[in-house]
Amino acid sequence: MKIKKASKSLIISIAITSFVLGLTMVIQFKTVTETDIAGIEMMREAELRTELASWKSKYEDAKLKIEEDDQKIEEYSKEIEENNNISELLAREVNEAETIAGYTDVTGPGIIVTLEDTDKMQITAEDIMSLINELKLAGAEAISINDQRIVSLTDISNVNYKFIMINTTKSGGIARVESPYVIKAIGNQKYLESSISIKYGFLDSMESAGKVASYVLDNNITILKYDGTLEYKYASRIDE
Amino acid sequence: MVYIAIIVGCLLGALVGFNSPIVSYTYSNYLAIAIIAALDSVFGGIVATIKKNFDLPIFLTGFFGNAILSILLAILGEKLNVDIYLAAIIVFVGRMFTNLAIIRRYYLEKWSNMLENRRKKKEAATEGVEELKEEKKD
Repeated sequence: MKIKKASKSLIISIAITSFVLGLTMVIQFKTVTETDIAGIEMMREAELRTELASWKSKYEDAKLKIEEDDQKIEEYSKEIEENNNISELLAREVNEAETIAGYTDVTGPGIIVTLEDTDKMQITAEDIMSLINELKLAGAEAISINDQRIVSLTDISNVNYKFIMINTTKSGGIARVESPYVIKAIGNQKYLESSISIKYGFLDSMESAGKVASYVLDNNITILKYDGTLEYKYASRIDE
Repeated sequence: MVYIAIIVGCLLGALVGFNSPIVSYTYSNYLAIAIIAALDSVFGGIVATIKKNFDLPIFLTGFFGNAILSILLAILGEKLNVDIYLAAIIVFVGRMFTNLAIIRRYYLEKWSNMLENRRKKKEAATEGVEELKEEKKD
């Protein structure tokens, strides 16, 4: 009786054990054969692992390189943009400089002063110089005498008190101006007007000297550009 | 009865195994180790039966415990980057060969004993016949 009971549990446990053994073995067989059929090139797992690792590192390297290149591209494009900005700025500066130097036609509100020789009195270069000085004092931005632009190196001189030379030394800009002298100035009209019409000012002095001077205000004066060249032969720039 | 249980169990297991999904190739290593450990236990069990000291609890704990332990050791080896499963295979397979040798010797002995017994019986039978003849002579 005792033996029979023992053998029953023995048989059951042996059956379970062999069941588990058979199951796992068949699963393993299937796994091995099917993996071989799937064929990872007969490679062992360790080899595959090293291969995978090398590919991974290659991938990482490539990725890093791409990132670097991207960064470079970004830098370059930023630089290009900056350069564009700089060149734009430079162009604007050049334009401004040209305008200030008198190399461009300009237009704007201002005053037109006309001086005329009479039979008795003649307009001298000093008269014109003092007028221009007054106008500059009043903030005139561009001035011309008979369409001859006043620039930084402009000279105004009498020639035998018969006529006046302007811009004599500058190549291509030599001009002989004669009466009537039309002086155009662009600037704040109020300041320009008051600077010459002030009591004991330019107009008064002209009148007291018996010379004829008149002025009109114009909102749309065009002053032509200086058509000579400004060249420094002796002065050279000091770069800080 | 025990043999029938083994055969039926194995067949059922195989049947279920054929219809079950395969494990990932990465884990098949561990399964192989477990199978080796289980086989070692099986051979150990057979030897124990031969020596007539088979103990069911020892067999069962050996069967499942060794399988699980070997899997755990293999995983540990994987983590430590040491091929511990190689050591497990060496130990289990070595023991399997030892057990197989014991089984082989036992059955060889049994067989040779059987042969000897048969011869002895034959001899005894012929002797008996001769004796009978001699008796008849007398």
